[in-house]
This record gives sequence, structure tokens and C-alpha cells, in this order.
Amino acid sequence: MSGGDIAAILGGAVVTVTLSLIGILIGLPIGLGFALLRWANAPIAAPTVTVYVSILRATPLVTLLLLLFFALPNIGVPINPISAAIIALVMNTSAFNCEVWRAALMSFPKDQYEAAQSVGMGASLRFRRIVLPQIVRVSLPGLVNEMSLLIKVTPVLAVVGVVDITRAAVRIGAETYEPLPPFLVAVSIYAPIVFALVSLQRWIERRQVAAEAAA
Amino acid sequence: MTTSSLARFSSISRRLALALLAAQFAAPMLAGKAQAATLDEIKKRGYLNVATEDDFRPFEFVKDGKPTGFDNELLEDLRKFAPFEIKQDIIPWTGLLAGVSTGKYDVALTAAIITKERKQSLDFTSPIADATHYYVKRKGDASISAVKDLNGKTVGVQAGSALLARLPELDATLKKGGGALGKIVEYTSYPEAYQDLALGRTDYVVNTVINLKTLVAEKPAAFELGQAVSGKSFPAWAVAKGNTELQAFLNEFIAKEKASGRFAELQKKWFGDSFPDLPVAFEPEF
Repeated sequence: MSGGDIAAILGGAVVTVTLSLIGILIGLPIGLGFALLRWANAPIAAPTVTVYVSILRATPLVTLLLLLFFALPNIGVPINPISAAIIALVMNTSAFNCEVWRAALMSFPKDQYEAAQSVGMGASLRFRRIVLPQIVRVSLPGLVNEMSLLIKVTPVLAVVGVVDITRAAVRIGAETYEPLPPFLVAVSIYAPIVFALVSLQRWIERRQVAAEAAA
Repeated sequence: MTTSSLARFSSISRRLALALLAAQFAAPMLAGKAQAATLDEIKKRGYLNVATEDDFRPFEFVKDGKPTGFDNELLEDLRKFAPFEIKQDIIPWTGLLAGVSTGKYDVALTAAIITKERKQSLDFTSPIADATHYYVKRKGDASISAVKDLNGKTVGVQAGSALLARLPELDATLKKGGGALGKIVEYTSYPEAYQDLALGRTDYVVNTVINLKTLVAEKPAAFELGQAVSGKSFPAWAVAKGNTELQAFLNEFIAKEKASGRFAELQKKWFGDSFPDLPVAFEPEF
């Protein structure tokens, strides 16, 4: 393997991290929005979300991606590989995130909500001050777990031509007829990425504990 | 009381729902183009959508981040020849032909072997090389020295490939000698198949003569080329079924490259051999 090959895999790492981050940053709030719709039992929206989440959780990401990539142009919606990849990731992860957020919302004590109401807090203030901080803490392990799965599912995006860490390694193996060295490099890159994510989770958790101790 | 609080909440929810809905539909607008197109439409819009593979040495592969190989060099010539722009996407084999038959890409500029089954949804250009199927074995495997020795041995081949579809022909050959085809192991692409052959999980791999010659030239210590296991077979570029004007345009380009000697030069460079007797059109038996 040449230096150029290592650079190609690192280039793949940039793609993996960027697409995962975009998927997480868009999928996280959408998942929360879905969970809130279901929690609030919003008319029409709540049952729609329920169906959406069920379908998305039952659809393999690679199938969803191929469908988006090849079916959308057929009905006149142009789409490039990167947009198809982002949409598929967001659709997939938002469905799973929705369930993690919803679990936290379901365990949220309603009497706190009513107490906040009785002191005259408005709906958005109640949500920001009372609900959100507590459900974030409960959801965090589940959400980080889903995020680490998202990072490791990115090789699937290669079917539409996105070159992530694994695809970059496959290409090098196909050129040199030596697939093992690039795969070893690829594997050694995923670990620090996921470790960074888990470290971030620990840091947030420590900060929360410190904040509570101070309060 | 709870009911009223939740009712207030749901007004926020409705706005949220709308925003989410909008977000899911807005994203595709950021993207480019696509739609199956005739030659006239391609000329009018000014570009041709081409898809190539990324791990199919020597036809198309990526070296130091740049696409190269036989087809990619021809693509560079095609850029000069065509009166329109060429947009290239590099995607794995899995979605390549589907991309052309659904109209996402106008042409698969790859070595797609012409088969009867594929001709139902695709049209092919003039053949670009010889794709007679050969087998490759581990260097020094004394148990295989001729086609008849393949009797009962485990074979590795690419899933969904023309080579897989044509294994019954080898089976028929073996049966004439009282043998039969052994276990078939399918791989998503050939590098894995070669790796498994080297590891001893399979006994031989079937691929086209060009792919195997390149492999053996690169890894002479590990692999050894066997004999032909099929009759005539040719690879070509694929366009959507019925897109005859585009097919004719590409054939005109290929004929020009053949006449100028450039075709033979590129074949020599990438395959180690030129194939001067390639047919202009090929009707597959299989």
C-alpha cells in the first residue's frame, strides 16, 4: 500500500464522518419532533408518525437507498448519490431516534409538567426548562448507541457510489489484488471515530452530574 | 387539565410536523439531474450521464483517487468526440445495470457481458474485448491441469454475473466426461473471490480471460491461468432497451477508435493483447 492509498482511506474517513454527522444532526431533532408528536397524540400527525416509524424500522437501509436513488428519477425527482445517501440515513436514523426519545418521554413524570403549568410557565418554556433537560439525560445512552450504529452502517452507502472508509479500502484491494492491508487500515479507523463519540457522551454525562451537584 | 395542556402542545406539534415534512421534501431539490434520454434530448440538455465501475481492473478501477483503466481512457476520448458534456458517476457493479435500465444513467461504460437475459432490458454497443470465460487456480495445485479436472471442485464466481449464468455450459462439458460441476460460491465482487481462492476455500475461479490474465500477471506466485470453460462471449457498453440512437452514436465512436488504431493500442496497453476480429454486433446464445 502506498501513501496515496492511505490518503484515499483517510479521504473515505472524512466522508464517513461528514455523512454520519449530517445524518445525526438532522435525524436527532426530527426524531425528537416525531416523538413529541406521538407523545402529544397530535391528531393525524401522531398516527402518521407511527406508520412512518414502523415502515422505516422494517426497511433495510440499503433497500431504502436503492429505492430512493433509482425510483425518484423515474418519477421526475432528480437526485445525486450524496443527497440520496443523506436522505436515506436521516429517514432511517430519525425512526430509531424517535423511539429512543419516546421511551424517555413516556417515563417523564407528568406531575412535573402540571406543576410547571400551575406556576404559569408557557408551553415552550415548560418544554425547554422542564421536559428537555430530563429526557436528554435519559435518552443519551440510547441515542449514542444509535449514532454509533449509524457510523458503522455507512459502508452501505457505497451501492450508490459514495466512497466511505470501507469502499476506499475495497478499491485499493481491487487495484493491488491485496485486500487485507487496506481492510486492516479501515478497521483501525472506525474504532477511534466511535471512541470519540462515546467520549463525548461521557463528557456530557459528567457535566450533568456536576451541574446537579452544584444545584 | 391534562387534556388542555396537551391540546396547546399539539399546536406546536402541528407546526413542527409541517416543518419536518418540508425538510424531507426540500432535501432532494438540492440535487442534480437524471432521466432516461434519447440522443436528441441528450444533445438538447448538453450532457450524457455515464456510469462506470470502481473495482473492475483492468477495465475500470481507481488508482490514487483517479479513475483509470481501459474504459476510462476511452471515456477521455469520448469526451473529445461527443458534441456534449459527459458526466461520470463511479458506482459499484450492484446498481450499475439497474441504473441504466431505470434511466438514472444513459450508458454503463463498463465491460458488461452480452447475455440473452440482459438483452431483455438493455441494448449493447459493439463488443469492446473478448470475454471468453477461463478458470484460474492456485499456483502449484497439481490436482487441476485440464477442464475435466474441475469435476466436483468448488468454484468461486461473482453473484449476478454473466459468468455465473453460464456455468451450466461448463457443467454440460463436465457431464460429457462423466463428471459434474461442484459447489458454487458467489461473491459480490472478484477481489474477494481471488482472496478465497488463495486461502483454499475454493478450488478455482471463473472470470473472463482478460481479467484473469491481468490477475496472473500481477500475482504470478499465487495464481495460474487454466483453459477456456465457455464458447464465445463478449463484453460491451450498455444503454437502455430501445435507445437505438445513442447505441448507434456510441458504435460510431467505437468504429472510429478502431479505424484509427487507438482501440488496439488501448487493448494492448490494458489487456496485453489486441482483439482485431471483434464483431460489430453480437447475438448471444446464452
